[in-house]
Amino acid sequence: MARVMQHEEEEKVIEDPGERVHVWPHLVSIELVGALIYLLALSLMSIFIRAPLVDLANPEVTPNPAKAPWYFLGLQELLLHMHPALAGVIVPGAVLILLAAIPYIDRTRAGTGIWFSTPKGLPITKFSAVYTAVWVVGLVLLDEYLPAGEGAHGISPLLELYGFPPAVGDIFVPLVFMTFIPWSLAVIVKRRWNANTREIIIALYTFFLASFVVLTIIGTAFRGHSMQLMWPWEIGAPEGLMER
Amino acid sequence: MGLREKLTNNRFFKSIYREGYPDTDRKRVLVIINSLALHLHPVRIPKKALKVSYTWGLGGLSIWMFVILTITGVFLMFYYIPSVKDAWWSIININTNVYFGAFMRNMHRWAAHAMVILVLLHMTRVFYTGSYKPPREFNWVLGVVLLTVTFLLSFTGYLLPWDQLAYWAITVGAEMGGSTPLIGKQINVALLGGYQIGQSTLIRWYTLHVIFLPLTLIVLVSMHFWRVRKDGNISTPVYPAPVEATAGSPADGDGAPEPSDEAAEEASGEAEEQAES
Ligand code: HEM
Repeated sequence: MARVMQHEEEEKVIEDPGERVHVWPHLVSIELVGALIYLLALSLMSIFIRAPLVDLANPEVTPNPAKAPWYFLGLQELLLHMHPALAGVIVPGAVLILLAAIPYIDRTRAGTGIWFSTPKGLPITKFSAVYTAVWVVGLVLLDEYLPAGEGAHGISPLLELYGFPPAVGDIFVPLVFMTFIPWSLAVIVKRRWNANTREIIIALYTFFLASFVVLTIIGTAFRGHSMQLMWPWEIGAPEGLMER
Repeated sequence: MGLREKLTNNRFFKSIYREGYPDTDRKRVLVIINSLALHLHPVRIPKKALKVSYTWGLGGLSIWMFVILTITGVFLMFYYIPSVKDAWWSIININTNVYFGAFMRNMHRWAAHAMVILVLLHMTRVFYTGSYKPPREFNWVLGVVLLTVTFLLSFTGYLLPWDQLAYWAITVGAEMGGSTPLIGKQINVALLGGYQIGQSTLIRWYTLHVIFLPLTLIVLVSMHFWRVRKDGNISTPVYPAPVEATAGSPADGDGAPEPSDEAAEEASGEAEEQAES
């Protein structure tokens, strides 16, 4: 065992922690100020903005639309485009596992403690965010408006119209897109910037983050009655919002 | 005698903080290691780790939200009744009859949203600064679990007011869980405590929300903070060694290799920035 360890090449790095200062008072004072600012902001918010409360739960009356809390609206948006097992369980499960795996894929120490690690990091982040956002918005619009005959719309209905089984549109096509977009992003970043492992992981994390943000915004602010796409001002408050 | 002297140079204050006000380096060390709350910190940290634009204090603010949520949450527990018949009415009571009730409920809600956002931002800060890299791999994994627990805490709380928003959000959530391949039915029953949303669902989620998940979070956060210390505190810059240095002079000991041009440039840029602030 020890023999194997010896063979593993040690990464040569230069560490640069710099000058040290006492935690008291330097850090403790910053923490105190930060905590007080947040407490004050939350207090003001709690004085002036009410937490929503709507009518008593009623299993007989389904509100339209019925939405999850905001941080799950990205997943609820996916639910409109693919099989529920994929959107509700497999995608979030895979995301958590892949997130946890990041440090075991990108194993070098160089680049620790530096925002975006290398000079290429920030441009790659910006490019990846735009690339992802364009894909996600484009696909959402396509699935909403692509005519599929007889007033129906969407990629899956169109495929069924051509005689494909539902699994193709609900499972196969979404899987293809969800692998093609990050894969193509990694290829582009590698070619254009000659990216190393850390820089490719930056591109892929940005893909995750941008998808989450864009889908959450669409699900929160652009989905109204019957979960149709609309402008935020057309959506209105939840039904039965209490005055007090 | 100044005001600070008066407040800190007396028997009572010194019975709590034996060394008095920390105005010498020795006392600045002792105040940290003698205090339960402060000893989570190291005694000294790199000046770089102090820069707000490095961590944005996001991890600390996440736990601060948790503290606020615990205090406001205990207050709400005095009045909230976890029964299908009474839950919604007890919220109305909190909003209208209880002194500071609406304030505490609002604060609990806004701090909960803030915590989810802060934890997501903290993860993103850790990612883009490369702070998950060795030796901090496992603390990142703990972080991913903490993120999951944070989501679950927020989601279990969402059902408790027993209004239409809560009921149907949970319906959507439980349907998603129920679509799990192979074990969907079992998951659905486990989530709802039966075949439909009702009293057994409410009491189950209430228990998870007020006891199980907060305790889990406390244990995991303790491990998380412990590991931050054991992994050498907050990350500081690590640059790749220049190629010549790796070419195998056996002893590079203290004659440490010079940083590469790029690294040196960045380092000096950082020093300048610090001089400015
Ligand atoms: C309840 C949630 C969490 C709390 C209360 C928390 C708290 C903290 C605190 C106070 C620090 C010290 C540095 C700082 O403030 O940035 C820290 C560092 C760290 N956290 Fe978290 N954290 C949480 C969730 C997460 C998540 C979701 C991740 C990643 C997936 C994560 C990964 C890390 C890592 C790797 C460090 C070391 C960073 C460094 O050395 O620069 N944590 N955490």
